[in-house]
This record gives sequence, structure tokens and C-alpha cells, in this order.
Amino acid sequence: MRAIPTLKISISGVRGVVGDSLTPTLLTRFAQAFGTYVGPGTIAIGRDPRTSGEMVKQAVIAGLLSSGCRVIDVGMCPVPTIQLMVRSRSANGGLAITASHNPPEWNALKFIGSDGTFLGPGVAREMLDIYHQGEYAKVRGDQMRGVEVVDGAIDLHVQTILETLGPLPSTKRRLRVVLDACNGAGSIVGPRLLQALGAEVIAINDQPNGQFPRAAEPTPENLRDLCAAVKTHQADIGFAQDMDADRLAIVSDRGDPIGEDYTLVLAVGYVLSKESGPVVANLSTTSALDFVAQQYGSVLHRTRIGEANVTECMQRESAVIGGEGNGGVIYPRINFARDSLVGMALILHMLAERGVSLSEILAGLPRLVMLKEKLPCPSNKIPEVLKMVRETYSTSEIDLRDGVKVHLSNGWLHVRGSNTEPIIRLTAEAATDEEVRSIKDSIFEAVRRIINDNA
Amino acid sequence: MKPLKIGITGVRGVVGETFTPELAVGFAQAFGTYLDGGRIVVCRDTRPSGPMVHAAVCSGLLAAGCEVIDLGICPTPSMQLAAKQFKAEGGIAITAGHNPSKWNALKFVRADGLYLNATQAEELLDIYHQGEFLKTTWDQIKTAIRPADAIEPHIEKLESSFDLTAIRNRKLTVAVDCCNGSCSLLIPRWLEVLGCRVLAVNDDIHAPFPHSPEPTPNTMAQLRAIVKAGGADIGFAHDADGERLGIVTELGEPLSEELTLPIAASMRLAERVGPVVTNISTGSRIDRVASKYGANVIRTPVGQAFISEAMIEHSAVLGGEGSGGIAIPEVHATHDSAAGIGLILQHLSHHTVTISELACDLPKVTMLKYNLEVEPNRLYSLLQNFRMFVESERLENDLSDGIKVIFDDGWIHVRASNTESIIRMIVEAEQPARAQELLDWVRDRVKS
Repeated sequence: MRAIPTLKISISGVRGVVGDSLTPTLLTRFAQAFGTYVGPGTIAIGRDPRTSGEMVKQAVIAGLLSSGCRVIDVGMCPVPTIQLMVRSRSANGGLAITASHNPPEWNALKFIGSDGTFLGPGVAREMLDIYHQGEYAKVRGDQMRGVEVVDGAIDLHVQTILETLGPLPSTKRRLRVVLDACNGAGSIVGPRLLQALGAEVIAINDQPNGQFPRAAEPTPENLRDLCAAVKTHQADIGFAQDMDADRLAIVSDRGDPIGEDYTLVLAVGYVLSKESGPVVANLSTTSALDFVAQQYGSVLHRTRIGEANVTECMQRESAVIGGEGNGGVIYPRINFARDSLVGMALILHMLAERGVSLSEILAGLPRLVMLKEKLPCPSNKIPEVLKMVRETYSTSEIDLRDGVKVHLSNGWLHVRGSNTEPIIRLTAEAATDEEVRSIKDSIFEAVRRIINDNA
Repeated sequence: MKPLKIGITGVRGVVGETFTPELAVGFAQAFGTYLDGGRIVVCRDTRPSGPMVHAAVCSGLLAAGCEVIDLGICPTPSMQLAAKQFKAEGGIAITAGHNPSKWNALKFVRADGLYLNATQAEELLDIYHQGEFLKTTWDQIKTAIRPADAIEPHIEKLESSFDLTAIRNRKLTVAVDCCNGSCSLLIPRWLEVLGCRVLAVNDDIHAPFPHSPEPTPNTMAQLRAIVKAGGADIGFAHDADGERLGIVTELGEPLSEELTLPIAASMRLAERVGPVVTNISTGSRIDRVASKYGANVIRTPVGQAFISEAMIEHSAVLGGEGSGGIAIPEVHATHDSAAGIGLILQHLSHHTVTISELACDLPKVTMLKYNLEVEPNRLYSLLQNFRMFVESERLENDLSDGIKVIFDDGWIHVRASNTESIIRMIVEAEQPARAQELLDWVRDRVKS
């Protein structure tokens, strides 16, 4: 099998490496396909601070205008800000230029529908068909529409959060927050929101210059600077964003990363204490969420992996909150999108209202241990792996909606092929290190054997 | 077949048909590759497809590693000066000049602000056709496009090239029709600097073209009305990007675009004698004006690059074309309507003469033009047939650009347009009847 290619065109958009596969021609064609799909409407676009952002944006503008669209250019901003803008301006769609957690040489286009959510698998497939057919709508030169540059998108985002949740209630001491924006799109909005809420902010990595100060994924091993800063400044909490500010990770007042899954657990706990209704999360998100939902008598719906699947289910079930275990909090009263800013506001409100420290709140939650592994796997071996897992656990309760999820007496195991790379993802969760290892060990070798078997 | 022209004057087509974002991206990448990822100035005119083409061009240039200086909407000659001022490696003008609104084009200039010559244009086309472009990596790519103004520096350059005191003292009333093109941002300001009372019409860059952006008598109705109503000393008509200049006299008469160059020559040669450069399709009035002052006329193939290079080679005092283009070397060796205006107003200030008197003094000849629309795939075979006929009949001819046939009492010139799928036929004779006879003859000959 060849090495992993530098271009990935899928229902979650188009991703590629700048200076290699992600050419302006490819980008302008994709924008034309999207413009053709949406029809001659208004499209809001924005980008993260990657160095290639301007090149990509110009190619996208050309393609959208050519297909007869009017463009609202929101500039450099978080992805959820674009999604909010689509709804507030009643645009026909949106286009986010960001490769979220991918390394700096990557960039990508992500397509947003008129409701501000990412295109679901069905419509995304229709759009891809238009791209591949290569016949795009073309408006004649003298009928072409233009670009409106909007400066106020970030203000709108901050204002919408403030109007919905209000400023923080007064506390004995102002909450002190350290924010690590990863020099990403959150660098501009994050500090403004936190100050507007009434918190004291210490920002690190807040230069949106396209240089990554750390790996972009806000996983514990990438948050050492933030942990140190929380301790040094004796802060109440540390927040970490990814490049496009949709995901949020948290560092406790003791300077420990609490694990990305607990961002959603905390946010759900706070929202359910205020309003009741269903909760939605994907199959790989921690069981601590089931505990919290039960505590408040709410139903928890599980979906396949992917933001589009979660938001679709949230709309269907009229959920009050939802999200994904990778730190993506979706709170529909503000935005039908994974939004790190909304996540920060919810969690600070909880701290301020309850008047206790984050570590005290965490002490009241079940602390589960999650283990995530990924194994390179040729795509033709994936069905075989899944079949083996299913047969191994034939006596257990099994969920087959996305790969195989096995519910065990002391935890769970989830094995699935990635949507974006030729790899197998294996996730397990249990109460202790020892238990989660034993779950993993019970299957890991068998999976590896299948992958390495050349027969 | 749909029209698309890729040639030495750049790439031109109808947007929504052949002129696509991919085409503009590809040519920008090719140009960026040709200039090895250097600094490029970019401008556009006001047609509605401008933002689309501009975005495509910027994306292609950035991808090739270029630094982009965006001059926004400005006349092409302003960009050509800016290329030198910003020490750019080259420039791209996004404008289809005198073509209707649905057209657009890319025109490429070099570090010295002049258009690519024929050889350089061929090299650029080869890179485009090979399709292998420079691709810069994420750690080298330019992260932003730098905006800059080219209008103010252009006016400063113009100010230093003419007798401002004389013009200001004369307090002329000047009417101007900018066709809502990029001249809207330059010409009224330039006229105010010259102390003129300015009567401007169609100077809104956000409005569509009010008429065809070709400064010929049949587009000058509004301008004539304003000249008369406002008692102006002269009226100036413009194309979309500031390269062609048309004139309305103080009596409200519209002058043929063919007269702009002979008028400018009579003014220029009166103050300084030297060679005049024009193309072989331009009428013979220029020869008679030049001979009156003992000046040489140097003829080149059609295309600004040829005129610019010949002007430099021969140290010409003036360049221009029968389409209304005027180049004054003190400003730069390329067509620039604002420079043409400076020369004309300076002359009107130095002398007690009106523009109608000057026009009246020009030699009387009749020039007729006819454009034959042809399917692009038949165009060159029709020309080839005509050339073989001319040679077999042993008629006196000049084949440096198309086919020029010279008779004792007139001439005809037949050539393919550089920009559209048409055969241009121009005839000239002293007597109107003879001119018509020549035109009928050549039209029949080429069609058959």
C-alpha cells in the first residue's frame, strides 16, 4: 500500500498539504462546486491563522463569486463564529478554512449548511458528486456579485454569549483564568470573552500568526505550558483551545489536565442543573456522562462519531446540550456548533455560582480512565478486524452503529475505522488503570495479528 | 466556438463562459513561476467580475510564493508606474480595457512597468501550457496581501512632467466621462490639481458602464451634452482602464479616436522635434503632421509592447495608436490618458488656440473601419487566403502585422484582433468615395 496521501476528499470536506496537493485550482473548483450546490445565495467564509489561509481564502472567494454567490468575508475567526454568522445573517451556507488540529502545513475546507451546522453525510455526498462531475454554475461577468467584508463577527459572538448567559455572578475573588489559544483563531476572541464575562485573564500562545507553539490537539501531553502557568499564577482554571477554537480542554486549579472528555461532562452537569431535556454525545464519549444525565433524570442519546451526526441528533431530539468527548461542547441556545467559547462561559458560570473550586467539583464526579490507541490499518483489513471483535464478545451487549462498541461489566470498548485516515481507533474506558489495560489487552494483540497477517 | 484569446497581449474572454477562475489562477501561477515568486503589483478596473478575477489571481500568485501588493481599483498606467516604484518583479492588470462589461482579461507587465514583449509573452505561455508551477510551502508562503495606493504617486509623476503653473493660470473648464471605470479615481483629481473647473460624468466606480467603454464618437453623446451645457473648453472620454483617450471639442463635436494621436503629435512636435512611434494600423495623418515638423514616424506591429520598446529604442518624443492611446516618455513609455490630458491642456494653456481649430487644421482623410466577426477556427485561414491573393497579384504590401496593401491614393490593413475573434479591416483614402470603394473591395476579397 502507498504511503498516506497528502490529499483527502471526503464527506467531512477537503484536506491537503499546501505546496503539494492543496492547490488554488483544486480549492477554487471546490468552492465552485459548493456555490453550485447552494445556488446563487450568500455564503459566509472565515479562516484560522494558518500561513496559507490568505491563499486558500482568495481561491475560495473566486470560486464562490464565479458560481453566482455573494460572499460575506468574516476574516480570521473561530469556526463557531462563522457558523453563528451563517445563522445571524440568514446566509445560505458557510465555508470554514481550517485544518483544525492537523500540523501547520495542512489546510482544509469545511462546508456549512444554512442552519449553521456542518453538511451531513448525505448532502456532503451530493456536493462531492458535483465536484467530481466538474460542471459548475457560472454567472456571466456583468451579473457577478461581490464580497462584503464584515469586521463585527467576533463582537457578535461575544455579545451573543453574554446576552444568553449573562456576566459571571460576583465571587469573593474574581475568577482567574489562564488561556492557551495555541496561537489559533481563539487568540482574538478568547481573552475578549473572558474579560467581558468578568474574569481575570492571563493569555499564553495568543499570537494568531500561523506558527504553532505546540501540537494543535489540546490533549494532556500538549498542555505542559498551560499546567505550569496555572500553578504559577494560582489560577482557578486553565483553558486550552485548538487552532480553530471548536475544541476545549481544561486544566484544574491544581494544574492537572482533567482529560478532554470531562469538558463536556462539566458543561452538561451545569446545563442540566438549570434546564432539563435530552443530551446527545457520540459513542466514544465517557460514561461519566451517563452518570451526570442520570443524576438529573435526563435521557442521553448516543450517535456515530462526527459533529454532523451529533448536531443532527440534537435537532431531532430537541437536546438542551450535546457534544463530543474531544472537548467539543454544543449548546444550541447560542450556537449549533462545537464552540470552545460557549464551553468556557458555561464552566466559569458553574464555578462562580457554586463558589467551589474545580477540583472539588471534579471530586463529585466518577473519575474514569480512558485509553485511546490507533493502529495503521489497510482499509481492506478493517471489516475483518471488526468481525473478529464482534465474535470475540458475542456474549456481551454490542452496539454496531459505528464500528463495534462492546459494553462490559466493568467498562466498555469501542473499535472503529477512522473516517479520515487508514487507521483503526481503539478506545476503552473503565474505573481504574488496571481494568482499562486488561480490557485493551484482551483484544489488542488479536487486532494487530489481523493487520500484520499478509495472507 | 466561444471566444477566448490567449496571446501576447495576455488572456481575454467572457466571464461565465471561457474566462473561468481556474484560468485566472493558472495564469497567475504561471506568471508567479516566470518571475520566480517575486513581488507583484495587482490592479483591476471596475467591471463586476473584477473581485472574482482578482481573488483568483491573488490566490495563484500566493501559491507560487509571490508577495502581492494590491493596488485595488486603479488605471493600468498607474499600476505600471507602481511596478517601478515598489521595485516589483512585475504586475498584473485585471481589465478588458475597451471591451464590454461581461469580458475580462489579464495583462502582464514587467519590472520596468512595460508590457511583456512578444518573446517574454511566449515564455509565459509556455509555462502556462506546461502546467508545472512553483508551489511554495507553508513556512514560505506570504500570509497577507499588502494594500497600497497607486493614484497619488501617479499624480505626483504627472505633476513633475508638465507646466503646472501655465495650466493652472489658464483655469480651463474640462468635461470628462470616465465610463464609471478606473479613471473615475484619477482623472477628476488630476484635473483639479491642474486648476481646472471639472464637469465629471460617469465617475462612480460602483455603477455599471453607462455605455460601451470605447471612447469613440458613438459613445460620446453624454459628454457632448455636458461640454455644451457647461461651456467647457474640451471634453475627454475614457475606456475602462485609462489607456485610450477620446476628445470632444469646445463646440461639442466628437472627434474620431483616430484624431487623438495626430492632435497630440502636433502639440508635442511644436515644442520638441523627435521620432513618433505608432503601429501600422494607424492612419496617415500622423505622417503628414510629422513631416511638417521634419520628424520621423516609426511604425510597429499592433500591440503596446511594440510601441513601448520602439519608443525606448528610438528615443521617441511621443507614442500612440489610432485607438486613442497616447504615450509620453517623460511620464512613461506606455499609453496613459492622464499624460495625454496633461499634454493637451498644456498646449491649450501655452497657445491661444481652441481644440476645434487644431482639429480643423489636421489633414483631411477618410478612414473607414470594419470588423468581420469570424469563427475562431476560420480566422487565420481567411487571412492566409487573402495574403496569398495579394502576393499573387503582386500588390505593394507590408506583412509586419497582418496584411497591409498600399495603393497610390490610399491603403488597406487587414489583421486578426489580438483580443477578439474578429478580422479588423481599416482603409484610408483622401476621397470618401475611394475609401468606400477600397473597403467594399477588401471585404469581398477576405470573405470569399
